[in-house]
Amino acid sequence: MGRPDWKVSVTRDRTDAARAAAPDLDAGTSVDDRTLVDACRGGRRDAFDVLVQRHQRQVYQLCYRFVANHEDASDLAQDVFIRAYRGLHTFKGNSAFSTWLYRVCVNVCLNRVGSRGPRLVGLDIADRPDPRVEHSDTLLLRGERAAEVRAAIARLPAKQRAALILRVYHELPHEAIAEIVGSSVGAVKANFFHALANLRKLLRPQS
Amino acid sequence: MKHLNRAELVDFIEASPLLPAGRARHVSTCNQCRAEADALRSMRALATTDEVPEPSPLFWDHFSARVADAVREEEPGRDRGAAAAMRWRRSPFATWAAAATMAVLVMMTVVWRTTLHAPAPAMGPAMSGAAAGTATFAPDAAAAGDESDVEADEAWAVVRAAAQDLRWEEAHAAGLSAHPGAAEGLALELTADERSELARLLDKELKHTGV
Repeated sequence: MGRPDWKVSVTRDRTDAARAAAPDLDAGTSVDDRTLVDACRGGRRDAFDVLVQRHQRQVYQLCYRFVANHEDASDLAQDVFIRAYRGLHTFKGNSAFSTWLYRVCVNVCLNRVGSRGPRLVGLDIADRPDPRVEHSDTLLLRGERAAEVRAAIARLPAKQRAALILRVYHELPHEAIAEIVGSSVGAVKANFFHALANLRKLLRPQS
Repeated sequence: MKHLNRAELVDFIEASPLLPAGRARHVSTCNQCRAEADALRSMRALATTDEVPEPSPLFWDHFSARVADAVREEEPGRDRGAAAAMRWRRSPFATWAAAATMAVLVMMTVVWRTTLHAPAPAMGPAMSGAAAGTATFAPDAAAAGDESDVEADEAWAVVRAAAQDLRWEEAHAAGLSAHPGAAEGLALELTADERSELARLLDKELKHTGV
């Protein structure tokens, strides 16, 4: 019995990789970060634009916490995204993209703050609440207090500051913070404890 | 009972389920721990009141456009060091250096192979020193002792072609240089037969180039 003369061929119009490389970016929020990262690695820079739009607010706010003014925060946030783009190949996917991006952000901020020292300004124009809504004395006191807290946070050691900012303002769990700053959960809790204790010392005269 | 440690105090003020119930109950009976927890809690609350001012709504579009422009100028997925390495690799200097390195490597390989596998020249009186381990070079005797022609050696022709345009000044500038004494060291590792074969090849080549 001879072999049948069949020719079998299997074709797939789009492989998983091709699908990842060409996600429907118009879908916006339906495309997850990992898919966008894969697409970006595949040469689609517009995928990175979506990632920027998705995370720019958190990145900017984190930068602002470190430098306490809009101009520096804006420059730092841009730097964070450029570094993230350059280092996309190092993102292994073991953690969420946002966690990885936070790590890049914290490193950039600590490097900048460490090299320059915090540029402490009073309050941005945007900090000043609308006087039509509240009494001016109350506003002034609140604004002054906010500036004092910000100045006190700026005087904290780098790791304590990072732990405080990520925990209080970004409400990240201690485990995620540990991953971001590259230490243990216990160390993060200890840093957070010391940050609050030092904040208390720094703010004591006015408290 | 032992006071709460730092991590436990943090867990307590955050009402973490990780804190054992017994440790949490301790705070209600310990003034020191309670005072510390209250102080930490109030600091945490105070810090929370400071909010980041929201930039203008137009800022976000402007910002993402700025980042997009900056990213367009970047090589995808490469850090600055890798990009610099790529630029270096593409430079004409690097290409030349790579070619010169290849030529030298090929030359060394072929010489090594030739000396190992070519038939040993007949031992004439002029080469008697070689048998004693002290290679005494006698060009006439070496040339007469072997009838194989270097010109016919294809591998040697490849080496000669590869090294034809090689200038040692440029090779040195490209970082290709032999350590002092390297040639002598290499010669000492050769057997007597290998040394005599190397001598024969060099002699042939010197005659060919008219030096």
